[in-house]
Amino acid sequence: MSERPVPPRHLWWLAAGFTVWCSALVTLYAIHGIGCAFGWSAGSLRLWLAVALLAHLVALGWMWYGIFRVAPDSGFGPTGAFLYWAVTGTLITALVATAVTFGPPLLLATCI
Amino acid sequence: MSEFVEQSSQRAAALRLHRELAAVWGTGPGLQRLAAVNHSIIGLRMIITSFAFFAIAGVLGMLTRVQLATPNGDFMDPETYNQVFTMHGSMMLFLFAIPMVESFAVYLTPKILGTRDFAFPRLTAYGYWCYLFGGTILTVALIARVAPNSGWFMYTPLSSNVYTPGVNADVWLLGVTFVEISALSLAMEIVVSILKMRAPGMSLDRMPIFGWYILVTAMMMIVAFPPLILGSILLEIERAVGLPFFDPTRGGDALLWQHLFWLFGHPDVYIIFLPMAAVLSTIIPVFANRPLVGYRAIVVAIIALAFLSFGIWVHHMFTVGIPHLALAFFSVGSAIVAVPTAVQIFAWLATLAHGRPRWDVPMLYVFGFFFIFVMGGLTGVMVAMVPFDWQAHDTYFVVAHMHYVVAGALAFPMLAAFYYWLPLLTGRTAVYRLSVPAFWLVFVGFNLTFFMMHLTGLLGMPRRIYTYQGNEGWNWLNLLSSVGGFVMTIGFALVVIDLVVQLRYGRRVQRNPWGAATLEWAMPIPPPPYAFASIPHLGTRTDSFAVGDLRLSLARGEGYLGFARNGWQEALGVHMTTGEPEQLIVLPQPTYLPLFTALATASAVLGLLFKFYLLALFAALATAGLFVFAAQRAGLARDYGSLPIGRGVNLPPHTEVADAPAWLALICTLVADGTLFTSLLFGTFYLWISAPNWTTAITPEPSRILAFGAVAALAVAAAAARGSLRTATAGGKASGWIGLALIALLVAIAAAVGQIAGVVPQPREHALGATAAALLGYVALHAGIGVLFLISNILRQRAGFISPRRVLDLRLTRLWLDYTLVTGVLAMGLVLALPALVTVLGVRP
Repeated sequence: MSERPVPPRHLWWLAAGFTVWCSALVTLYAIHGIGCAFGWSAGSLRLWLAVALLAHLVALGWMWYGIFRVAPDSGFGPTGAFLYWAVTGTLITALVATAVTFGPPLLLATCI
Repeated sequence: MSEFVEQSSQRAAALRLHRELAAVWGTGPGLQRLAAVNHSIIGLRMIITSFAFFAIAGVLGMLTRVQLATPNGDFMDPETYNQVFTMHGSMMLFLFAIPMVESFAVYLTPKILGTRDFAFPRLTAYGYWCYLFGGTILTVALIARVAPNSGWFMYTPLSSNVYTPGVNADVWLLGVTFVEISALSLAMEIVVSILKMRAPGMSLDRMPIFGWYILVTAMMMIVAFPPLILGSILLEIERAVGLPFFDPTRGGDALLWQHLFWLFGHPDVYIIFLPMAAVLSTIIPVFANRPLVGYRAIVVAIIALAFLSFGIWVHHMFTVGIPHLALAFFSVGSAIVAVPTAVQIFAWLATLAHGRPRWDVPMLYVFGFFFIFVMGGLTGVMVAMVPFDWQAHDTYFVVAHMHYVVAGALAFPMLAAFYYWLPLLTGRTAVYRLSVPAFWLVFVGFNLTFFMMHLTGLLGMPRRIYTYQGNEGWNWLNLLSSVGGFVMTIGFALVVIDLVVQLRYGRRVQRNPWGAATLEWAMPIPPPPYAFASIPHLGTRTDSFAVGDLRLSLARGEGYLGFARNGWQEALGVHMTTGEPEQLIVLPQPTYLPLFTALATASAVLGLLFKFYLLALFAALATAGLFVFAAQRAGLARDYGSLPIGRGVNLPPHTEVADAPAWLALICTLVADGTLFTSLLFGTFYLWISAPNWTTAITPEPSRILAFGAVAALAVAAAAARGSLRTATAGGKASGWIGLALIALLVAIAAAVGQIAGVVPQPREHALGATAAALLGYVALHAGIGVLFLISNILRQRAGFISPRRVLDLRLTRLWLDYTLVTGVLAMGLVLALPALVTVLGVRP
């Protein structure tokens, strides 16, 4: 069976996981800056931050699940298998990085 | 006998092919050398130039150590010291480290990936000349004693007009930005070439790990440099015409500079480190006699490292007053960035542990690197912790850490690379009696110099001070640091002597002395301008084939393009993921255009520096004109259809395919441009939320008519670009559509400029007006560049470069105008929203 070429647009997936990590950083930093500047209460600021973090974790989990439930397309040959492995690796590491980077800090004092 | 005859005829055929290709690819003698565009020549020039700047910066470093060797030193006065240490840092980072790693990439990447040159050789040459001229401006300023003197990161307000009224800071802002043009252009070149010009069959999973490292590094550069370029432009505008982006008394904020600088500055550490990691990942398997352990894990680690390095810029700003919760994001991020770094280190150690390592000079430097980098990594985790950083901030501890992770992690792999790849150039190996002592002098000197700085830092010695009293307990540590600096310098001098002696007296070696399995060893020594007499087809991962057999086969022309045709410099374009050949790329010949364009750019920079604004404008227009002129000589003036490339394969030229390198290059350009625009949006929102005096400013009243007029005109231009593409594809003349787009763009420019003229508050009076003017200026500039695209389209259509099969020019114009429309809508929207944003500020407690 001859292999199909992996479409170049699939390469964007290599950046997808950590793009969500970056989005989480920018969103949380912006919410925190706006919340502190406008004097939000600690409770509501923390809630907004938690919701934003959760949304990003869900997005990453959904992307990982989306990749995980479909086996690598054998029609794409070894290149497809390699990219499948690399994309899965970046999604898992991005998920862990997001949880570790932004989860524990939410327990700290908000605007001091 | 018949075998001998056959060998002789094969050798004669290989020689004939060599002569034909050398005639096509060679650069002429004498002054014609200034027209060189070949990656080997430009790469070598960059290496030599970067080391010239390294030598100057090194001498400056020695001068600082002389000054600090003893208390109450009067070797230099404070102003001279300020210039010397600022230039030491600036030159090391901007004129040595970044260009040096790029020069390695320029020289080696095409060879390791099995292609003949980069996708845009004229851009390579332009990048080099910009680097040389920008570096020269900085160096001449040093000689003239007007060098930058505000520290290598040019913090505002110290670098603003009030505290640095001379040209010193302007030299840095303009000179470094000029050099960054070089870095950015080369980065785009590298991304496109790695993705589109690998050897056929080199799918991404077979690509040497060197390629992955360089690809990710170049992508990082595309995203990392624009924030600093924007910051430099804004600060220069503030200094030159008084728009107060960083002046808190007029609604600006000095901390905005720190954000923009470190958005570049932190990734820059990894931009320097990753190419050196590429060197290590290439060298270690060769000396361990086994393939690299964890190839796939390393690819994931590099990608993770690239992203994480962008998200931790604030760890340079832990002491500026950011709340704890936000600091913790960056503190944790700074700690976990050690994980992907550790993945690589363990992969290298595992490769050595599972292989049969042999000892040679490059490996000495590899082990030097391990020691230094682990030390620097550990102190990096220390300063990532906020409480520790508050104690160590702005002390010599940070100077020590920075030198361990940047200087050490750069210098040791760099020297390993030199000893490893010099036989490719010279056909000789190092003189061991010199190279081994040189290593130990560098290693001992380095640690003596910089380890002591940890201790002086912990004892409270602030960085940047030009002298000290002598009763602080720093005396002997500083003296040892200075002695170490001289020991290290003697070591580097010995390395230079060793390399020079190697050229003449080194032991002659076989063509692949290390037994490597990467493609750069499958070519003649020294590499000819065409690199490969024919281009290989790879069937396995490139670290597991016999280079020697392949070299002979390629020299006989048994690969692709094993012939010379039409005097064309031919290379192959491949599918991005599979590496299957899909287009014939015809590269431009040597030309003086890059030199002249860089000279025009340098004139613009000098005009701005000396405030000859008319000259600067004229030179900028000349630069733009030369770019348009260069475009007139690109591509092929008629349709060719499929052409044979050897091995029974026929391919169309790059001018007749949709996926040509220029398309990807424009996408890279727009990514860089989009990052700059995003940084501008970030700056606007940052000033809105953080800067003082925004609520007391006059409420802006932007003209809705002009804003909507500008957006409508941009939309018409984008639609007309689509019309021109449709018409040309159908075989018609697109002049009418192009003319319509041209008129629409001129209307958009007029509307944007009209808005700038009416900005309230006056841009010089308040940062609110200044940011509005910057956003509108961005739109006008992009519409102006769109005009250049259209002029080029008209000229190339007339000259026959556009046909139904060759519509790349029109596709590029369409993409540019789409981008201009999208950013125009966002910029105009934000300008219109400014009054509401200012009103919202009024409800703050």
